[in-house]
Amino acid sequence: MTAITPLITLSQRRFELTARRPRELFVPLITPILFALVIAPALKVALHTGSAYESFVAVGTIGLLIPLTTMFSGLSVIVDRESGAQRELLAAPVPRPFLVLGNLAVALAVTAFQVVALLGFALARGIDFHAGLAGLGWFLPAAVLFAVGMYGAAEALAGRVPRQEEYIARVPAIAIVPWFIAGALFPITALPSFLTWIARFLPLTHGLALMRYGLLGDSSGLHDIWGSGSSTSMALLSLAVVALFALVLTVGSIRVFNRTAVK
Amino acid sequence: MIEVEQLSKVYPGGVEAVAGIDFQVGPGEVFGLLGPNGAGKSTTIGVLTTTILPTGGTARVGGFDVVRQPLAARRVSSVVFQEPVVDRSLIGRRNLEIHASLWQVEPRAAKTRIAELTDALGIAALVDRPVSGYSGGERRRLELARALVSSPSVLFLDEPTVGLDPRIRQELLEIVGRLGEQAELTILLTTHYLDEAERLADRVAVMHEGRIVALDRPERLRRRLGRELVELKVRNDLGIALNALRERGIAGDDAFAIGSTLTIPLHDLTAHRAIDTINELGLASSISAREPTLDDVYVQLTGARLAAAA
Repeated sequence: MTAITPLITLSQRRFELTARRPRELFVPLITPILFALVIAPALKVALHTGSAYESFVAVGTIGLLIPLTTMFSGLSVIVDRESGAQRELLAAPVPRPFLVLGNLAVALAVTAFQVVALLGFALARGIDFHAGLAGLGWFLPAAVLFAVGMYGAAEALAGRVPRQEEYIARVPAIAIVPWFIAGALFPITALPSFLTWIARFLPLTHGLALMRYGLLGDSSGLHDIWGSGSSTSMALLSLAVVALFALVLTVGSIRVFNRTAVK
Repeated sequence: MIEVEQLSKVYPGGVEAVAGIDFQVGPGEVFGLLGPNGAGKSTTIGVLTTTILPTGGTARVGGFDVVRQPLAARRVSSVVFQEPVVDRSLIGRRNLEIHASLWQVEPRAAKTRIAELTDALGIAALVDRPVSGYSGGERRRLELARALVSSPSVLFLDEPTVGLDPRIRQELLEIVGRLGEQAELTILLTTHYLDEAERLADRVAVMHEGRIVALDRPERLRRRLGRELVELKVRNDLGIALNALRERGIAGDDAFAIGSTLTIPLHDLTAHRAIDTINELGLASSISAREPTLDDVYVQLTGARLAAAA
């Protein structure tokens, strides 16, 4: 028995509960796969663009997949509170942030499974990626930190809304709307200038630019955000933005959880 | 094992759920917190299980301050909640194992303990099935087994029989009664069932509007109301009837009323003589005599007290 044994137990419990609801694993995959494998190739033909566009959109759909998956994971927090064992866990001799971190670990594992599945489908469809080890070194932290931040948003929202219906009603605004202006389907410079400026402040814009830089070697998204500079320094700046997003949302979600769990 | 001093809790908005209560529960004692919904029982349990922060006073569980040492206080205690608090899609055994692991019980010891408890509580045959298929009583027994897996020094039972059918309720009361005989286990039980408190608790604290209005052994609380009670349905004005009975030395300050039913504790008189006098006065449409119950104590302490109103 070590100090993190309870954290492992909490993660195992969350994993077992998630595994009993396969829809949590597969439903969030449907829309991104549709975009990556059906809509992007169709747009390529319709707009007479090249195969690079398919790769562009394939990475862009990761920016939809991560928010959808993490927001779905947040639903389980409400289920736990309404009809699950949350009160038992609150009475357990474990630090309460472990309850959030245990859920986060499983949300990350589920997200990783889905991102790998999406990339696997894309590769099978003949979409090209040019990722070397260095590229993965940018892609992985960007994807992980963005997922951590989004799970923080999901957990905080779940702590603040009383019912599942209210939670679900807020999901599109958090998970889908930013995706349309964060450079997922087209560069942010194609937006009206005021929206381009808003997009530069979105963590998703930085996350997508980093993931494209890592998987495709395409630094145009970073240039669209930062203007000029070396690709590496712009990537580091964007990584710092995504890391700050992850940190703030995780700390915030723990605070929200503590406030709602302890009256 | 449990020490509560001047404990208070005022919720945002000014609702005073607990208003400066004091009590101590000794090792091995079964202590009942008795009161209606809103009396402050669940808030008190919430403070003791560290899910509610008190706004005043102190509370210690197993010697640990619940505000300053919440982890230590939780380590020595377990709770059975009023409403179902289980992972329904998991099997019963997994619910027990998770509790054991969170309370840092060694896996081998946990396995033995789970086998003992599921046998003792009669759920060994269904512990490997998903909890979603359990009946209310089976789930309650599972929750009780779960609370005991970590061999707590203090067990909190928050209205443990609410919603159960009478047969299952009796079974569960027998189980809790057996637990109460264990010298090493201190039990704090909240209930609004008077028979439960009377049957299980060594001592009872009666809570009303956030305050403890009586604290004693159940039989001593009952004895406050004398050897017998006379209960009469009053024909006309309750105040006039009470004054008449006081003048004749039948009723004292501890008479109490619910609606038009007046209950008179008899300390020195026999029921026979009291009934004769009441009949002479022609005050009652019906009249009966019986021994006092904890229910009478509770109504007298928390219900309308005619002595004050008359």
